[in-house]
Amino acid sequence: MEGKVGVFICHCGGNISDYVDVEKVKEAISGLPGVVVSTTTMFACSDAAQQEIIDSIEDEGLDGIVVASCSPKLHLHTFRGVAARAGLNPYRYVHVNIREQCSWAHRKDRDAATEKAVALIRAGVARALRSESLERFRVETRPSVLVVGAGISGLRSALALSEMGLSVTIVEREEEPGGFFRKVRNAYPGGLDGREVVDSLLSEVAARENITLFTGAQVVEKKGTVGDFQVKIRVSDGSTVTLLVGAVLLATGFEPYEPAPGEFGFGHPRVVRLPEFLELLDGGRGMSLLKDGDTVAFIYCVGSRGTKGCEEARPGDYCSRYCCGAAVHTACRLAEVFPGVSQYHLFRDMRTYGKLEALYEEASREGAVFLRFPGDSPPAVVPDGERLLVRSKDTLLGGEEVEIAADLVVLVTGMVPRENSGLVEVFKVPVGRDGFFNEVHPKLRPVETVIDGVFIVGAGQGPKTAQEAVASALAGSAKCASLLLKGYVELEPFVAEVDRDLCEWCGECEKVCPYGAIRQVHCEGKEVAEIVPALCKGGGSCVPACPKGAIDLAGFRDSQIRAMIDALAGGGA
Amino acid sequence: MKRNGSPAYDVAIVGAGIAGMESALTLGDMGFRVLLVEKEPSVGGKMILLSKVFPTLDCASCISTPKMAAVAHHPMVDLLTWSEVEDVRKEDGGFVLRVRKKSRFVDEKSCTGCGDCEKACPVPIPDRFNFDLAAHRAVHIPFPQAVPKKAVLIREGTSPCIFECPAGVKAHGYIALIRAGKYEEAFRLHMEDAPLPGVLSRACYAPCEGECSRKELEGPLRIRMLKRFMVDRYYESHPEPEEEGPEKRREERVAVVGSGPAGLTAAYYLAREGFQVTIFEAREKAGGMLRYGIPPYRLPREVLERDLKNITSLGVSIRTGERVESLTQLKESFDAVFLAAGAWEPVRPGIEGEGMDGVVDAMTFLPRVFEGKFPRLNGGKVVVIGGGNVAIDSARTALRYGAGKVEILYRRGREEMPAHDWEVDAALVEGVSLVEWRAPARFIGKGNRVVGVEAVKMEPGPPDESGRRRPVPVPGSEEVIPADLVILAIGLKPSTSPFAGEIEVNPDGTVRVDPTTMETSMPGVFAGGDAVTGPSMIIQAVAQGRKAAFFIAQRLIEGKVDPAKWREFLPPPERGKIPGLGENGRGRPDRVPPVAVREIPTEKRVLSMDEVEEPLTEDEAVGEASRCLDCAVCSLCGECSRVCPSGAIDYSMRDSAETYHVKSLVLSTGFRLFDPSLKEQYGFGKYPNVITSMQMDRLLAPTRPSPGVVRPSDGKAPENIAFILCAGSRDRTVSNPFCSRVCCMYSVKQAQLLLGALPLAEVTVYYMDIRAFGKGYEEFFQQAKGMGISFVRGRVAKVEEGPDGNLIVVYEDTEGTGRVVRAEHDLVVLSVGILPDLSIAGVPGVREIERDELLFVREKSEVVNPGATNLEGVFVAGTASGPRDIPDTVLHAGAVSAQVGAYLLRRKEVRS
Repeated sequence: MEGKVGVFICHCGGNISDYVDVEKVKEAISGLPGVVVSTTTMFACSDAAQQEIIDSIEDEGLDGIVVASCSPKLHLHTFRGVAARAGLNPYRYVHVNIREQCSWAHRKDRDAATEKAVALIRAGVARALRSESLERFRVETRPSVLVVGAGISGLRSALALSEMGLSVTIVEREEEPGGFFRKVRNAYPGGLDGREVVDSLLSEVAARENITLFTGAQVVEKKGTVGDFQVKIRVSDGSTVTLLVGAVLLATGFEPYEPAPGEFGFGHPRVVRLPEFLELLDGGRGMSLLKDGDTVAFIYCVGSRGTKGCEEARPGDYCSRYCCGAAVHTACRLAEVFPGVSQYHLFRDMRTYGKLEALYEEASREGAVFLRFPGDSPPAVVPDGERLLVRSKDTLLGGEEVEIAADLVVLVTGMVPRENSGLVEVFKVPVGRDGFFNEVHPKLRPVETVIDGVFIVGAGQGPKTAQEAVASALAGSAKCASLLLKGYVELEPFVAEVDRDLCEWCGECEKVCPYGAIRQVHCEGKEVAEIVPALCKGGGSCVPACPKGAIDLAGFRDSQIRAMIDALAGGGA
Repeated sequence: MKRNGSPAYDVAIVGAGIAGMESALTLGDMGFRVLLVEKEPSVGGKMILLSKVFPTLDCASCISTPKMAAVAHHPMVDLLTWSEVEDVRKEDGGFVLRVRKKSRFVDEKSCTGCGDCEKACPVPIPDRFNFDLAAHRAVHIPFPQAVPKKAVLIREGTSPCIFECPAGVKAHGYIALIRAGKYEEAFRLHMEDAPLPGVLSRACYAPCEGECSRKELEGPLRIRMLKRFMVDRYYESHPEPEEEGPEKRREERVAVVGSGPAGLTAAYYLAREGFQVTIFEAREKAGGMLRYGIPPYRLPREVLERDLKNITSLGVSIRTGERVESLTQLKESFDAVFLAAGAWEPVRPGIEGEGMDGVVDAMTFLPRVFEGKFPRLNGGKVVVIGGGNVAIDSARTALRYGAGKVEILYRRGREEMPAHDWEVDAALVEGVSLVEWRAPARFIGKGNRVVGVEAVKMEPGPPDESGRRRPVPVPGSEEVIPADLVILAIGLKPSTSPFAGEIEVNPDGTVRVDPTTMETSMPGVFAGGDAVTGPSMIIQAVAQGRKAAFFIAQRLIEGKVDPAKWREFLPPPERGKIPGLGENGRGRPDRVPPVAVREIPTEKRVLSMDEVEEPLTEDEAVGEASRCLDCAVCSLCGECSRVCPSGAIDYSMRDSAETYHVKSLVLSTGFRLFDPSLKEQYGFGKYPNVITSMQMDRLLAPTRPSPGVVRPSDGKAPENIAFILCAGSRDRTVSNPFCSRVCCMYSVKQAQLLLGALPLAEVTVYYMDIRAFGKGYEEFFQQAKGMGISFVRGRVAKVEEGPDGNLIVVYEDTEGTGRVVRAEHDLVVLSVGILPDLSIAGVPGVREIERDELLFVREKSEVVNPGATNLEGVFVAGTASGPRDIPDTVLHAGAVSAQVGAYLLRRKEVRS
C-alpha cells in the first residue's frame, strides 16, 4: 500500500512501559513498510506530545497515524482532535490499546506483552494504511428535553433547562409530583422543609411556558438518535403522546430499602424505618408514640454495606451515603422534640462526611449514645413484651455484648434503585451491579451514558443527598445544554454502503437492521437497498447478511479488517 | 470582542484545576466566551499531580490531560496561566477584573518546552509540584504534563549581593556556577559586568558581602574569596585571554584618558562593541591607582598584568607616558572621549615644616616603593598621618620596606577611621601602632630634615554640618613624636585642573556629569571614576566605566543618549521570601560558618610584599558557595539564556496588568492541604520518615520523583507502612472540626497501590471511621480489606522516632484490648485534610464573598442553588466551597456551568 504512517507509542508514564518494552516495540514497528515515524512518548495525551504528533504529521506529510496507548474510550476524541488540528482527516487515525490489552493483561510476562503489542500495532498500521477520509454527518437537534421523574432532581433540571432556553417535558410515573424529598419535613443541613422546597419548584415549573408536566405517565418507546429522539409516552388516560426531543434526562430517583420480614424485628409495630419515623416525628404524630423516659434504638446500615439483619435479607453491598447524616440529624431533632427520651445509635462507621460532622458532634452533645457494631455480627432485635431488646456487640468496649431495652427501634435504611426495568428496556441504558444507572465514567463523564443524548442524574445514578442530587441534576442540564444549544450534532460516519450493481434487493439486510436504517428503493430499473445515514449506527449486521456481498461499512471495510488479520497473524502491513 | 478597549467575556473562571477546567469546557461548549485564569504556570490543579484515582484506579494523568489540552485549544476559552486576579470591581451589571500576568521571563511563543534551560540552571529549589520530595531548578517546566508546556523562571527580585554591587556584578550568578563546578562559566559571567576580575578578587571592598543574607545566620559568604578562586583557576589555565575581538569593527574612535579601573573598564566594553579605543596614560605603566596605589601584598602585580591583557587583547592601545592637557584637542581626533584621570592630587595639611625632607605624600611614597625607587627605610621610625585606607596601606607598606616602627596619627577615634576595619586590624596585628585623637601641629626638623612631629591631643567638639563631631585641639597638650619619615595620607583630590576651562568642574575638583549617562557638559565627552566621585572604591570606578561605555556607544551609534535604555534591576526580595529567613524559618539551612581564610603568618608577611591571603581550595570554594541561600532564586547566571535554542529567555520581562470585562465570575480556587507540622505530636518535619499523603501520592505517581516508593531517610523501600487518618481533620485542636471527605478513600487507594508497588510490604491504616460513601467506594474498601491491608480503629496519639529512623505509632486499640499500643513502622503517612485556598480571598471584590467558619465560600442555598454565592453573578465551583472528591467536584462544576449559563441567558432576556 502507498502512504506514510506515523506510529506513536505511549509509556503512559509507566503504566505501559513497566510491562511492555516500548523501545523494542518502536524498533519492531519502525521497519514496517509505510511506517516513516515510529517513536515513543511519556504521555501521548499530554499537550506537548499532542503538539509533537501535529508537528510530525505536518513535517513528514503523514497520511495516517497510529497511537498505541490506553483504551480508545479515554482518548479516541483526544487524538481525533490532534489529527484535525494538523489538517489530517480524523478517521485516518487508528487507536491501538496496548495498556488494557497488553501491559495490564500480561503483567507477569513482559516478553509476551511486548510481542502482543507489536502484533496489535502492526494490525493498526495495516488499517491506517488503508484508512479513508470520512466526514461526520451533521444532524440538526431539537431544542427540547425529556426529563423522566418529577422529584427534586427532575424538577430542578427542568427549570435550569428552561432557563437556558430549552423546552422541557417532564414525565412522572406517580400521580403526585415531588418525589421523596417532598416528604421530608425537616431536611439536613439547616432544617429545610422538603415540601416547601419542592412546592416552590413546582410552582416555578407551572409558571414556565416551555415546561410541560405529565404525571401518572410512562415512557413506552424511544426511536431516533441523539438530537432527534421520538419518544412515546402513555399518559394517565391511557392514550399515547409522541414527544420529539433532542435529549433525555433520567431522574428517576430511589426508594428506601424495604427490610425483609423479621429483619431487625421489621414487621413489629414498634420497629419503623427512618423515613416513617421522620414522618411521625416531624408530622407531630410521634407524640402518641413516645413519652418521657422512653428509649429509642437506631440501627444503621440496614440494607447497606451487606449488613444482613436476617437470612432472608437482601442488602446492597454499597454504602447508601445519606443515611448516617440523616440519622444523626434525626437524633438532634428527637432530642429537641423529646428531651426526655434516651437514644442509642448502633452504627458501623459513622459516615458524616464533610460538614455533616457537625451534626454528629451535636447529637453526641445532646446525649445520643453511639455504639459501634461489627459488620459481620449485626445487632439482634428481640420482642420482650411491650418493649424490644436490642442486643449488640460494642466494639468500642472490646466486643462486649450490650442489651438495650427499647420502646422503639428505628431502622436506618439505605437507598435502593427504583424498579426501572421498563425504562432500561426502552432507553438501553446500562445498569450497574448495584442496580443503579451506570455513567460512562465517574470523573470524565459522570452524567452521560453510553447512549448518546441520554443522561442520568440524581439518586437514580447512585445514592445521594438532596443537595448532591441537585448538583448532579444541574450538571446533567449543563451537558444537555452544551449538546443542544449549538443546534446540531455530528454523527459518526461509520455507515453502511450498498453497491447498487451487486444488490438485487432480497430484503435480508432490512430484516437484520435493528435501527430501521435500510429501505427499498427503485433505482435504474431495479429494486435495491438504500441506507439512511442518520439512522445507521454502523452496527454492521447487514454486511454478512447480504448474500451478494454488496454491503460494506465505511471505516470497517472488509479489506481493512482482512489486512489487520493478516498483520496480526504475522504478515506484513 | 473588546469593550472600552479591554477584552470582554461572558464568564471569568478563576482557578484551572479540575473544577475550573470542567466549568470552562462546559460553558465553552454551550457557546459562551470564557476567560480561564490560573495562578500557577500550568493548568491541572492538584489532580494532575495524583497517582491514580479511586475507586476506578484510573491514572489521574489519563483523566486530566485531555481536559488540560482541551482548555488550551477550545475556541471559546482563553487561558491565562501564571496570572493572578488582583481586583474585581462591579460595573454595569458585570465585573471588571484586573489580572496581573506574572512574568515567566520566558517568551511563551518561542519556548519549545525542550527543558535544556533546566538542565543548565545551577539553582536548585524545592519542587512544589513534587511537594518538596525533590528539587527542580529556578527555571523549569512545572511537570511533564504541564499545559502550556513552557518553562518558567522564578525570580523574587534581584539578589541583594547583585543589587548592592555598584557595577551590578552577578555575585549570586558566579557563586551558583562555582557551586555547580562551572568555574569557567563563572569567570565569563563576571566579564559581562567587570573586566578586572583579578583586581577585584583581591582589592574589592566587596559591598556584596555586607548585604549577603547569610550574615543574619552565621556570617556572610566570602564572596571575594570565591571570586579569587574562580579567577586564579581560570588564569592558571588561560594565561592569555580566550576572548577574540568583536566580529564587527566600527570606524569610530574613542579616547580614554587614564588607565585606572574606570578607563580600563570603559575601554574594554567599547572595544567589545567594535570601537577603536586608545587609552592615554600619563604615567610609565598602565593601571593607575591599581598599580601605583594598592600594595602588592594586597594585589599581586602578575594578577594586574593578567587583567590588563583582558583589555589589550581586544586591540585597545594604551599610550603610556602621554599626558592629556586638552579635551578639545583630543576631540579633534576622536569621536568621543572618556575622562577617567582619577584623583591623585594630595591634600596638604598646610602646617609648618611640611616642605622638609622626610615629609612625603602617600602618593609619592607608595609608587616609588612599589617601583623600588624609594630608599630602604633601614629600621627608621615612620609616622603616617591620616585614617583612611591609603594611610593604612602606607603604614603596612612602610613596615614591609624596612621601617623599625610605624605609628599612625589620627585626629579622631578608631571607630571613626574611614579605613576598613579589617585593614586597620591587619595593620595592628602586623605591629603598626595607632595613636588616636592626635593631630600634627607642625613638623620639627634638624636643618631641612624632619626628626619629629609636634602633635596635639584632640577631643570631640561641636557637631559639624554632617552631624559628626568635629575634633578640636586640647590646649597645652602638645608633645613631640620622633620621626625619621612622615607620610601624609590625609586625602586626595581629582586630577582635573587642566580641564576646568573646558568642562564644568565642581569646586572640589570633581567633574560634573549627568549621573545617569556620565556625559559631561561637553557633548561626546564622558567622565567617570575618582575624577567624578572623588576617591572611591575600585568597583565604583568600574561601574562608572561600564555605564559610560554603554552611553558612549549609544551616542556614537544612535547619535543620542537615552537613559531609559540602561539596565534596570528588580528590587531585592523581601526578607520574608528569602529561604531560611522567613517568618516560619521554612527551609532553614544547616548552620555552617563562613570558610576560614588562611593568611601567611604575621612574622613572615611583614618581611615581603607577598600576598597575605592564601587561596581557597576547590573543596572550600564549593563548600562556601553552597552556603548561598539563593535569595532571589534566579542567580542571573545567564546559563539558561546561553543554552536556550530558541532564545526564549528574557530577563527584562516585567509583570503586567490587564483588565477584562466579564458578565459573571466563577471561583474555582480549590484547596490547600492542612499543614501537618501544626499537629506536632505526629512529628512531621521532625522525623524524616513521616510524610504526607500528597507526598505518598507523588511517590506512587508515574512521574514520581524517585524510581520507586522509598522512605526519605535512607532511600530504602519501606516494608511496614502506616497511614494515620484524620490528620488535621475532625480535630478541634487544629480548628478544623469537619471531615475532609477525601482522606479515607485516598488512603485506601494508596494502600492498595502500595501492595502493588511493594508486594511484600505490610500496610496498616489507623482510622476513626472509614468513610467510603460514594459510588463504588464501599466495594473498594472491602476489596482493600480483602487484599490484606490492616485497618485498625483508634486515633493515633503520637508518633515517636525509634531505631534506624523507624517510627513508633502510639494509639489506643479501641476495638481490641482497649489498651495503649506502641506499634513500629518504617514509614508513616499522614492523611492530611483539605482547607480552602485563600490566595485571592483578600482581593477587593472577592473579599465581599461570604465564607463559612473554615473560610470555604458559602453557597447561598446549598440544596436548590448549588454554586450560587451571596453576590449576584458570582459562583463557586469545586472544593473552594467545601471538601469534595473528584466525582463530586466534577458534578458541582457541571452544576455551576448550568447556573452560569442560566444566569447569562436570563440576563440577556432581561436586557433585550
